Amino acid sequence: MRIGFVSPYAWDVPGGVQAHIKDLALHYRSKGHEVSVIAPAVDESSISEDFVIPAGRPVAIPYNGAVARVLFGPVAASRVRQWISRGEFDVLHLHEPAIPSLSLLACSIAHGPMVGTFHAAAPRQKVAFAIAPLLEPIIEKLRARIAVSEFARETLRIHLETDAIVIPNGIDVLSFIDTSREKKSEAQLTVGFIGRFGEPRKGLNILLSAIPDVVAAVPNVRFLIAGPGEPLEAMQSVDPRFRSSVQFLGRIADDEKAEFFQSLDIYVAPNTGGESFGIILTEAMAARSAIIASDLPAFEAVLGNGKYGAIFPNGDSKALAAKMIELLRNKNAREALGSAAGQAAARFDWEEVGNQIMNVYLHAAGEGEKVSVESESRGLGKLFARGSDE
Amino acid sequence: MNNLPFLLIFIPFLFAWYLNFSATRLDRLHHRVETSWANLDAILQRRAALASQIAHLPEIDFASNLILTSAATQARSADIAARSEAESGLSEALRLLRDESEFPHQYPEVFAEMDVITERLRTAIALHREAVASTSARRRSLVIRVFRLAGKAPLPVTYPFEDDLL
Repeated sequence: MRIGFVSPYAWDVPGGVQAHIKDLALHYRSKGHEVSVIAPAVDESSISEDFVIPAGRPVAIPYNGAVARVLFGPVAASRVRQWISRGEFDVLHLHEPAIPSLSLLACSIAHGPMVGTFHAAAPRQKVAFAIAPLLEPIIEKLRARIAVSEFARETLRIHLETDAIVIPNGIDVLSFIDTSREKKSEAQLTVGFIGRFGEPRKGLNILLSAIPDVVAAVPNVRFLIAGPGEPLEAMQSVDPRFRSSVQFLGRIADDEKAEFFQSLDIYVAPNTGGESFGIILTEAMAARSAIIASDLPAFEAVLGNGKYGAIFPNGDSKALAAKMIELLRNKNAREALGSAAGQAAARFDWEEVGNQIMNVYLHAAGEGEKVSVESESRGLGKLFARGSDE
Repeated sequence: MNNLPFLLIFIPFLFAWYLNFSATRLDRLHHRVETSWANLDAILQRRAALASQIAHLPEIDFASNLILTSAATQARSADIAARSEAESGLSEALRLLRDESEFPHQYPEVFAEMDVITERLRTAIALHREAVASTSARRRSLVIRVFRLAGKAPLPVTYPFEDDLL
């Protein structure tokens, strides 16, 4: 099958959507499908994958509490048109087609089997969807819609009045299990956090406020904070007496994540909002971590309402401290949570997720119709043609 | 005013364009309903075929054989009016067989195939319902009704059996 992916965000800027497209594209390539990706790029020479076609430099727009780099306009449109007409795709997979982006352009230009995946979940962010009435005739062309979580599906239902099939984001489960599991020393317990901790919605301050209570109850505990950000700034909010038990590791590479999870006794995700899916939780699950997460709807869904990880009320650092103390003191409970998580993670593996998405492609593709470029003035052209006949 | 003649030409032209645009949209939606039903129908046929295959497995007891064979035959031969009931019947027969007998353990391959079909059936149903919902919503709009842009196309419907599997 020939599959065309459209990325709304710059390929050479790290982000969840781009990572998802890349993994999915590589997965289908390994299954023998032909794959092509078109994406904006800040620096075209930095793109190393031969199946990625750069479409031009994106501009930065604020979106969903972060800055998104997207590409929109006539030049981009003509690049997309060329890519579609040359590609002869069996199915076009557009990511995040409801924001002004390359995906929306592709959706308006193309004709034929198209599938859209909606990543964002933003119930209160009405502005981003204020253009919904204009989008409707375009988004309508998608033969199937996929939402990455129930939360994203709800967002679609509210803002675009359309339903979607929920298929979660995928991860490579094996890569999180493979690392040889070293025996953790009982003398030292560790609690970990990953994320751009400068962003308040990642909730690091909630974890930091819980530290005094935890250290008072369990003195031999250390807190490892991984991710890009300013450690000194974050450290300000911690009582100086407890600063020695907090350690900042800086940004860690993707292949170091597995090792990081293995070295932890508890993984904490105190995020306060803005999470649609929580891919990091699924990764922690695959690594069989004991997880404590805030009760965001997306997190509750991933953690099976507490079966695969403990849940605490969003923003409540006292409750978080109590949960941490309870689990730090109970090795059996930690191991039980970890192994339940490990088993549940299988449904997030690309093997499973890839099959589900392929299933949707097959439904969309129907009877061997290829994706083509819709002639721009089809409606008007017909009108004139008819007029001259009479 | 000077631009009155211009407006007199422009407004009807714009309106004609809008009618054409609406008709194209509706046509595309109808096409989506048809495609999704064709998909759903094809998978239902495959399910019925596999069900009769299961019914003819050796060692299956007479009662199960009878129920499955009749349910599968009905599902395959039912006309459109009786189709939904027949498919519901087949769903129920398969559920009974799965939950209350040992066959799934005896014939894991056949039942694994049935699971794959059921999974695809779920997707097909979801897509069909979505297409029907969007199309019916569009057909309720004023311009579509007043100018009869839907022509003679029947109003798309979902079937009761689609509820059983979700």
